[in-house]
Amino acid sequence: MSYFFLLTVNGLVIGLIYALIAAGLTLVFSVLKVVNFGHGTLYMLGGYASYYIIQWLGVPPLLGVVGAMVLLFLFGIAFERLVIAPMYTDKVERKDEYAIIVTFGLTILLSNLGLVVFGPFAKSPPAFMTGALVAGPLILPYDRLIAAVVAVLLLAGLTLFLKKTSLGQALDAVSQSRESAAVIGINPQRMYTIAFGLGSALAGGAGALIAPIFSLSPSMGELPVVQAFIIIVIGGMGSVGGSIIGGILLGLVQGLGVGYLPDPNRALAYTQAFGALLLVVTLLVRPTGLFGRSHLRLE
Amino acid sequence: MPADHSFISVGGLAKHFGGIHAVQDLSFGLDRREIVGLIGPNGSGKTTTINMLTGVLRPDDGTIAVDGVDMARSPAHHFARSGIARTFQVPRLFRRMTVMENLMVPALSDPSERRASATLRAREILAFLRLDHLADDYARALSGGQQKLLELGRALMLKPRLLLLDEPFAGVHPRLLEQIIDHIRSLNRDGHTIVVVDHNLEAIQSVVSRTIVMTRGRKIADGAVAEVLQDPEVVRAYTGARAKQ
Amino acid sequence: MRPMPRLSFSHAVQALLLAVAVLLPLVVGAYWTHVGAIAWYYALLAASWALLAGYAGQFSFAHMAFAALGGYASALFVEKLGLPLPLAIILALFLAMVMGALIAALVLRLSGPYLALFTLAISEIFRLVLVAEDEITRGMLGLEVPGFFPGSSDRPYYYLGLALVVLCVLGMNMLLSTRVGLFLRAIREDEGAARTSGIDTTRYKILVFVVTSGIAALAGTYYGHFIGILTPNIAILPEMGLVIAMAVIGGIESLPGAVIGAVVVYLLSESLRSYGEWRFVLLGLVLILVQRFAQNGLFPFIERLGRKQRPAPALKAAPVPANSVEDGHAG
Repeated sequence: MSYFFLLTVNGLVIGLIYALIAAGLTLVFSVLKVVNFGHGTLYMLGGYASYYIIQWLGVPPLLGVVGAMVLLFLFGIAFERLVIAPMYTDKVERKDEYAIIVTFGLTILLSNLGLVVFGPFAKSPPAFMTGALVAGPLILPYDRLIAAVVAVLLLAGLTLFLKKTSLGQALDAVSQSRESAAVIGINPQRMYTIAFGLGSALAGGAGALIAPIFSLSPSMGELPVVQAFIIIVIGGMGSVGGSIIGGILLGLVQGLGVGYLPDPNRALAYTQAFGALLLVVTLLVRPTGLFGRSHLRLE
Repeated sequence: MPADHSFISVGGLAKHFGGIHAVQDLSFGLDRREIVGLIGPNGSGKTTTINMLTGVLRPDDGTIAVDGVDMARSPAHHFARSGIARTFQVPRLFRRMTVMENLMVPALSDPSERRASATLRAREILAFLRLDHLADDYARALSGGQQKLLELGRALMLKPRLLLLDEPFAGVHPRLLEQIIDHIRSLNRDGHTIVVVDHNLEAIQSVVSRTIVMTRGRKIADGAVAEVLQDPEVVRAYTGARAKQ
Repeated sequence: MRPMPRLSFSHAVQALLLAVAVLLPLVVGAYWTHVGAIAWYYALLAASWALLAGYAGQFSFAHMAFAALGGYASALFVEKLGLPLPLAIILALFLAMVMGALIAALVLRLSGPYLALFTLAISEIFRLVLVAEDEITRGMLGLEVPGFFPGSSDRPYYYLGLALVVLCVLGMNMLLSTRVGLFLRAIREDEGAARTSGIDTTRYKILVFVVTSGIAALAGTYYGHFIGILTPNIAILPEMGLVIAMAVIGGIESLPGAVIGAVVVYLLSESLRSYGEWRFVLLGLVLILVQRFAQNGLFPFIERLGRKQRPAPALKAAPVPANSVEDGHAG
């Protein structure tokens, strides 16, 4: 029983991190209608950014997270302006294809750049707080607790931002209908840039939060980004709430799956495959996902 | 003379999206060689009807009998192969293919048609539409008016018996408008049955003999143009719609 | 419709490159012959993916999974079922084509990023099954596969690979020159309009998946028997990314372009081995730049330098004879 509880709590922590990554991905998709296949490398960059900020500036680890988010926000804006923005003019013929390929190119570029610059060996930034919370059968390292709390704060902040602030509502308007938003005076291009920046910042923040827990490597984004794809499809590709719930669910399923399936090799592979299977089933049966509202040419 | 409506017969057609009834209990018939107008204020279900008549949308209820055979649940390409062709409100051309290729696609969808004969027919249609000088240009390089004509040309390549024109007059230069009206009349003389959906009542009146009026998904009038336009319910539907705007 | 392709600059270039390819192993050593033989693997994949994604507009991420399917099926049919090699290969190809048809049927209503994500998930599921069921597949340790040819020289494999590439590209081009090619492009341009023009889009989408998954499986079979060992890593996402990069850089709507892209990218990545991962950083950068500035790929770009152009797609001022249609339209 306590094993179950332990697995659940750990699954929840991972799930919240997944939710953070997926929320960023979904924000970009709902506003720009682009699936950022390079999202995983942004997560990786965030982790490393935080590490180097802590190392070079000597700031407390949580500030490293903040710094990583700021840096990734700026990077996201730059990438959107330089590479994605041309998509909106008629210079680009096949827009869907362009977005997929260009974000894929970003993945190849950044993950290999990570390998040469950071080196293939894992690095570990200092913990947010050493020690662990011990409460009855539960042993939860403070790192994980803090990561989970910060993730919850960020997700709550994001939701409030989208619902209550005028900028958030502008983003929402563009995600629903870019023409209508333009008519009421919102500049869609600016919203695209901001959304991409925010989405990148969220991914970077997730990477920075996970860094003390699982350490850093240039390929650390590969698995989580696939989970993020799964989550946004299941949750509904335009829905931030959906990606939050989907992320938590997937984290729980994976945590329990790995813990309870007998054969470790099979367990790992099949828990991952299960997520992919959920994606497949969702697209076949209910393509808008559990909560989705905006979808693109699903004839 | 009583019409036998044996060519196309639509019975009890219905389509809803979520809670909205786009089309309800729609029934009408078409005879060969008729030109019929389909009019109504925005949102009355005209385009949805055309979409169902071409297999683009599946009706939730009702029948569409073509020469006695119900095709309501057939896929779009069956309708096209059965000689029911349509144009879209905003032309949906194959933009990165040439004008000639755009015309060859519908022709060659008939497996028994050979390239040589298809090419010949395509050139004839290009001549008819006065687009021959553009044969090797990419479709996206055409002007708006030329694209509308190519849309029509593509529909004609299917050797259609029924032509459904969705807003052929919309956004069109007055001189081109005259040409399109001429084309429609001449096509009808050649034996095509034509349904024209449009908001331009003047243009419609100059081509059709009969018109069907829809509002909010239902048919409210069906008959000679002059009579229909004086029908109080029709007037109400139009002025009511205008008052809302 | 289109005149028979006449001998052009492009054809001359291709013939020249083919001649170079044929003569290469006689000139370079064993190492580069080996590299060349692997390049043919990628060339088959890039060309078939270009047909699927570039021509027919089906952006599938499952392509490598079909290669893996072909390789593993053929090897396992020999090892576990004791089938003779030719039969095993044919069965493996057949299996892949059936799976291709099945996938096509599943993705009929999907497009763009949805299609990409769906096929990515399918590919991952298949790869993970290969990893998990290591009692059958030997998982990450690798499945040993018998070679085609006796002896240790790579030359026969090189020429086999080259022959496969030439045959498949010729075959695909023949298909494209028929009305099927026209229909596939129409489907890519606007599937709904293609349907109302009388095309059974379902049938042609399934067809293109069957053909391209068959060729991918053929590539996988070739690779397996050549290298002698298969691991699930041939189907990881970065491999799919590499094939996509090759097709895009070479020319996503040009089969010879995709082949050249594959060969150039792979040869470059081998010759730049001493630079380590920097060569892939370069690849990512080139991919982004090519997409941004030459979306149809480099080979068609170079092709255009050598031959008479079609009227450029943008802004042709059409002559306006007295009785023809006027340009422009009202509001």
